[in-house]
Amino acid sequence: MDRKHPGEVLLRTSGLTKRFGSLTANQDINLTVQAGKIHAILGENGAGKSTLMKMLYGVYAPDDGEIIMDGEPVVLHPPMKAKAKGIGMVFQDFRLIPAQTVLDNIALAVGKGWRFRRKQLRERIMEVSAKYNLAVNPDAYVWQLDLGQRQRLEIVKVLLMPGTRIIIFDEPTSVLVPQEVEAFLQMLMLLRKNGYGILLITHKINEVMACADQVSVLTAGKMVFHADTMEGLTPEQLIAAMMGDKQITNVEKLDTGAADEQEVLRLEDGEIVGDHGNTVLANVQLKLHRGEIVGVAGISGNGQRELAETLFGLRKLKHGMLTVKGKGISGGPKAFIDAGVTYVSEDPLKESVIPGFTILEHMVLDGMPVKEKRIGIDWQGARQMLEASEEAKALRLADLNRRADKLSGGNVQRMVLARALMRKPDVLIISYPSRGLDIGTTRTIQQHLLDLAARGTAILLFSEDLDELFKLSKRLVVLAGKQLSGPYDAAEITASEIGTLMLRGESA
Amino acid sequence: MKAGTSLTVMPVRESFLSAGRLRKIGLTITVFLAPFVLYGLFLLCYEVNPIELYWSMLKSTFGSLFGFGEVLLKATPILLTGLAAALPARAGLINVGGEGQLIIGALFATFAAVFFLDSAPSWVGIPLMLVFGALGGAVWAGIVAVLKTAGRMNETISSLLLNYVATHTVSYFVHGILKDPAAFNWPYSPQISWQLRLPTITGTRLHIGFILAILLAAVVWFILSWTKLGFNIRVLGGNKLAAQRTGFRINWMYVWVLLAAGALAGIAGMIEITGIEGRLRSTTGVNYGYLGFLAAWMAWNHPLRLLFTSFLLGMIAVAGNTLEIGSGLPASSVQILMALVLFFLMGIARRLRS
Repeated sequence: MDRKHPGEVLLRTSGLTKRFGSLTANQDINLTVQAGKIHAILGENGAGKSTLMKMLYGVYAPDDGEIIMDGEPVVLHPPMKAKAKGIGMVFQDFRLIPAQTVLDNIALAVGKGWRFRRKQLRERIMEVSAKYNLAVNPDAYVWQLDLGQRQRLEIVKVLLMPGTRIIIFDEPTSVLVPQEVEAFLQMLMLLRKNGYGILLITHKINEVMACADQVSVLTAGKMVFHADTMEGLTPEQLIAAMMGDKQITNVEKLDTGAADEQEVLRLEDGEIVGDHGNTVLANVQLKLHRGEIVGVAGISGNGQRELAETLFGLRKLKHGMLTVKGKGISGGPKAFIDAGVTYVSEDPLKESVIPGFTILEHMVLDGMPVKEKRIGIDWQGARQMLEASEEAKALRLADLNRRADKLSGGNVQRMVLARALMRKPDVLIISYPSRGLDIGTTRTIQQHLLDLAARGTAILLFSEDLDELFKLSKRLVVLAGKQLSGPYDAAEITASEIGTLMLRGESA
Repeated sequence: MKAGTSLTVMPVRESFLSAGRLRKIGLTITVFLAPFVLYGLFLLCYEVNPIELYWSMLKSTFGSLFGFGEVLLKATPILLTGLAAALPARAGLINVGGEGQLIIGALFATFAAVFFLDSAPSWVGIPLMLVFGALGGAVWAGIVAVLKTAGRMNETISSLLLNYVATHTVSYFVHGILKDPAAFNWPYSPQISWQLRLPTITGTRLHIGFILAILLAAVVWFILSWTKLGFNIRVLGGNKLAAQRTGFRINWMYVWVLLAAGALAGIAGMIEITGIEGRLRSTTGVNYGYLGFLAAWMAWNHPLRLLFTSFLLGMIAVAGNTLEIGSGLPASSVQILMALVLFFLMGIARRLRS
């Protein structure tokens, strides 16, 4: 399996482009993968890393440009063809069957013909796992394995695939604990020594510094930075490239005179657990004052959803005290709604849209004071009220008769935002308000949020767009490494300082 | 749904839509005819002439007042247990427990009739029996609700398994304290007194219970379609997460919906006792729960469509008797026909709805 020519070009792309509707996810990407080299692809969430990798693994067919292997253009879509060309991918969400053993999972992917040659396969598994220090027990069931073990299994699977030359790793260390990360990087270097071409997708700069030979940075679908050698490259340069050369202009906020020291929400010493009972955030201290916007920065997956859900009663605090307007609060969303809290979730399509219901019905469900007509609902009245609503007009809400589950993501976003704005809540927990929206609507929403704050609403704003956070927030907090740090005064801290905080937590 | 009325739809698409609608109607007709054709092939294997048989089935059900009454009689409990499946389904719950809820409703109603209401006049006794029947069904469904909300158990499984428990519970009573002392050890309850029986329509066995069932279907339909309560139930069924984020007390709603469903099935049990059997046996109401579930599925959980599907199932059930007499095949072989009807409907449901 060893390759003879380190540095040999295994794969090259030129002008690779992928569009989804009006969104260009990847534009003009030129990239090479060489034998015996680790090529790191850096970028923030949504920068287009996954799209690029999925094109190389054949999940998507490119709209433009070409992929060249062995000196000729190749078609990699569907993945079967990519596999045949020797491209393997270790996914973030593993493609494994929990009810089967490790051996059977591998046999399923690698085996050919009608018969499972279990004995032979077992030997090969042991061989590969010894060679690369990938301890896997072939007879364990997948459901018994932790995430690190599952990842090792995935890697063994890819290595056993006949003819694998290129291995793509999608955020491989996100499922690993720090001790495992070290071992993983060792293994990666061993693979490099044996001549595999490796693509490493990540947003962790210290890993890139530790093992990569080449690095490319994606921002908004474009390759904005590329270095063929790591020599002389500093982490700061990479951070700057990832953040882009966006001038973080502190857009003039309305002087939020309304902001005063009146505290409306306070979380003390909070411990928040995730879906599987694991601690996601510990020791959280958070205060929201009337009329202020507090921005929450952080790489997604660092407890944003859990924190937001806790502040809306969807998730119980494991430990700590939560007060709204000075009163301790417990119970479900109902109690929080009654206390004046409104929540816009990060995935409205999944969490807010009811299949088959129209926009009007969604608006009546939440947002507008319901006009009851005896035991029924005054739909006509609700329609008139909505048509007169300033917020609905400003957000260019789609036709009220349209089914919400058939709307585009942007239109759904407008709908849930209109609902939240119309409520004029005391506390607004809002996640990723501008996700999926064009610049014009984004501006409108940002303006509305500022206005809302000026009128006294306390807003906790989750966003992955630092620009937006700086533009709107008075203070910023950062989620990283199970901690919430801050608050920092938005006028006194720079974007790169926040960026460093976001990344630092990851390596801690 | 209402695409035709939307102003934004272009004229070109309008005609496309109506073509699509025609296709849907055609599909529906095919789906209802195909099982009869297939079942006809089955009959041919047994040297039974399907056309003749279908004709005699039609005659036995629509040909006489008595036959038609029998169909309505069969359709009544199916309609009610169908509602017991359809209402929770709209809230996102799958209640397969109509069977058990009906039986326990019958048990409660009989128990009340035998021990408390024996000498009560009709106008007191029958409504009270109704209340007891509804209560029995609600208690049985209440167990499912508690398991669901407090124990996080899947309601499909628990409601199904409780059906068996219900059967044995009734057996226990008809072998024990509810056993008719005059019955020479046969396991059934004493006859309930005559003034507790529902009045019947002359010339048939049909009692007025079917009017009650239709009324209840209309009430369920009205609540679901036109009230704030029904709106909330549909929201819950449409997207539980959205309902939660709107501040609904989801578990509370689950409990009430299940109780209401149980009460509907329980009323079916009460009607079986007071309308037809007059006494409780361990076989009372057997299979009506499952037939109701079937009817609800066929009607896509719409209460008014349920009127039609439960009638259809009632007709097939009655026709089974004709089959036995006319062809020598066992009456239960119509269950093949019912299964075929269901398979075709389920297979086509998604295509019709999209």
